[in-house]
Amino acid sequence: MRRVLVFMALLLSLTGVAGVAHAEVVQYISRHPIPKRIGHGFCDIDVPHFHDYPPSDPRLYRQVDGQYYFVGDPTPFGYDGPRYSFYGPHPIADASVQLGGPSYCYLNGPHFHWYAPPPQAQFEMKGGAYWYVGGFDPVFYSDQPRFMVVNDVYAPLVYERPVIDVAIAPPAFHAEFLVGGGPGWRFAPGWRENPGWRGPGPGPGWRGPGPGPGWRGPGPGPGWRGPGPGPGWRGPERREMVMREHHEEFRREEQHREWDRGHDRGWHGGPPPGHELGGPHGGWRGPPPGHEPAGPHGGWHPGPAPAAHAGPPANGGGFRGGGGGPHPGGGHGNQFHR
Amino acid sequence: MRDTSFNFVGGLFVGVLLLGAGCHKEAAPTAGPGAAGAPATAPAHVDGTAHTDAVEGAWRTAGLAPEGFAPLQPVPYGASYCEQGRVQSIDTLVCEYRDQDALAKGQAGLMDQWGREGGHTGVAYHSKLTMIAVVDRARHDPNGKIIHQVIDTFRKL
Repeated sequence: MRRVLVFMALLLSLTGVAGVAHAEVVQYISRHPIPKRIGHGFCDIDVPHFHDYPPSDPRLYRQVDGQYYFVGDPTPFGYDGPRYSFYGPHPIADASVQLGGPSYCYLNGPHFHWYAPPPQAQFEMKGGAYWYVGGFDPVFYSDQPRFMVVNDVYAPLVYERPVIDVAIAPPAFHAEFLVGGGPGWRFAPGWRENPGWRGPGPGPGWRGPGPGPGWRGPGPGPGWRGPGPGPGWRGPERREMVMREHHEEFRREEQHREWDRGHDRGWHGGPPPGHELGGPHGGWRGPPPGHEPAGPHGGWHPGPAPAAHAGPPANGGGFRGGGGGPHPGGGHGNQFHR
Repeated sequence: MRDTSFNFVGGLFVGVLLLGAGCHKEAAPTAGPGAAGAPATAPAHVDGTAHTDAVEGAWRTAGLAPEGFAPLQPVPYGASYCEQGRVQSIDTLVCEYRDQDALAKGQAGLMDQWGREGGHTGVAYHSKLTMIAVVDRARHDPNGKIIHQVIDTFRKL
């Protein structure tokens, strides 16, 4: 009898389940969108956890020790919890996670997050949004080409963005100004309200008109041939800018559709062509004042020069999980490290 | 991302060897690492941290429906006391530990086990010296709303 059992078990092992069964374990640090193939919507778990599926779109995530952290605006993915308005890039100030060093949100323009920055972080609440008014760590600039692609995900999405009056942006705010056609779009402050714009000039290939009165930044880059601005220069027509933006959005949407068709089956590779490091999306995409459509992709980056981060980064320390004693209200008491 | 493979062939070979040896021991309860070294003494609650019954009571108060919770013996994952049951039909484990070191090892062991077994969603979370572990194997909670509530209620204790 024993021999029969042994034989049957052996036979089963060689036929029925021959091969290897995979138990996929993908770790997430906090909330995140759920891929369409799983059911769509938003996962509400705000502490480290795992699922048996990979992220739908890696452009929306940052990886920390093999764990995915969603860095985007959760609104278009069915998130229905509390949310806070931000304008422009800023340090990720989610107090419930530690990302192992300064990490930045690269979303341009108005957007939401599920967190409000902690009081000690250098944000200013104005016009209904948080504006980052501190310095940017050099890593912000070095990572920019890689992480700016997050904007490509949102460009074609139609959803309720925060309505922010950028005309009253804090004077210390010096991120890149987006000129987009989204519902929350008003006008980039450096274009109309801030004739004293102090950002650096446009990049190589710039052919548009120069900046407005009071311009104190460096001159236009090599190849600039455009006329200087008149005294009443107010930037390009909004209509013109929106048309350009729509053209760009259409192109991104096509790309996104392609991408979506791919990632819906479960992403296992890199981003689509054109998202490579330093590629055509690596940098500024909103047009600088009066520039021509072909202008910005050379990497025009208004904003401050890389500077030491003023004050400690909100998320320093690194998520390591485990140990560390009790952390009531936090998500630190967990570990996925083996 | 961690992609863990579990070799069923290897597992079956172990099964074959056990059968061949005429091993008729009852299947172990859902104890994971730590069960083998568990003390023979009766499990006891740990002072200074949330007790299992308090956790279950909090879930009940929050409108969740803990059911079928029963102590595990031998106590798994190096804990001093563990109960296993279901909350809103999702498998849930509550364990109390004597110290942080034991808790860290126990939690790591649990994650190891889940890594091999897989599951739709899994969370291990601790506060003080009490750990809760929730694993949704049958996609009862695809959006994590129940699990979020389970965790949130626990961390408010």
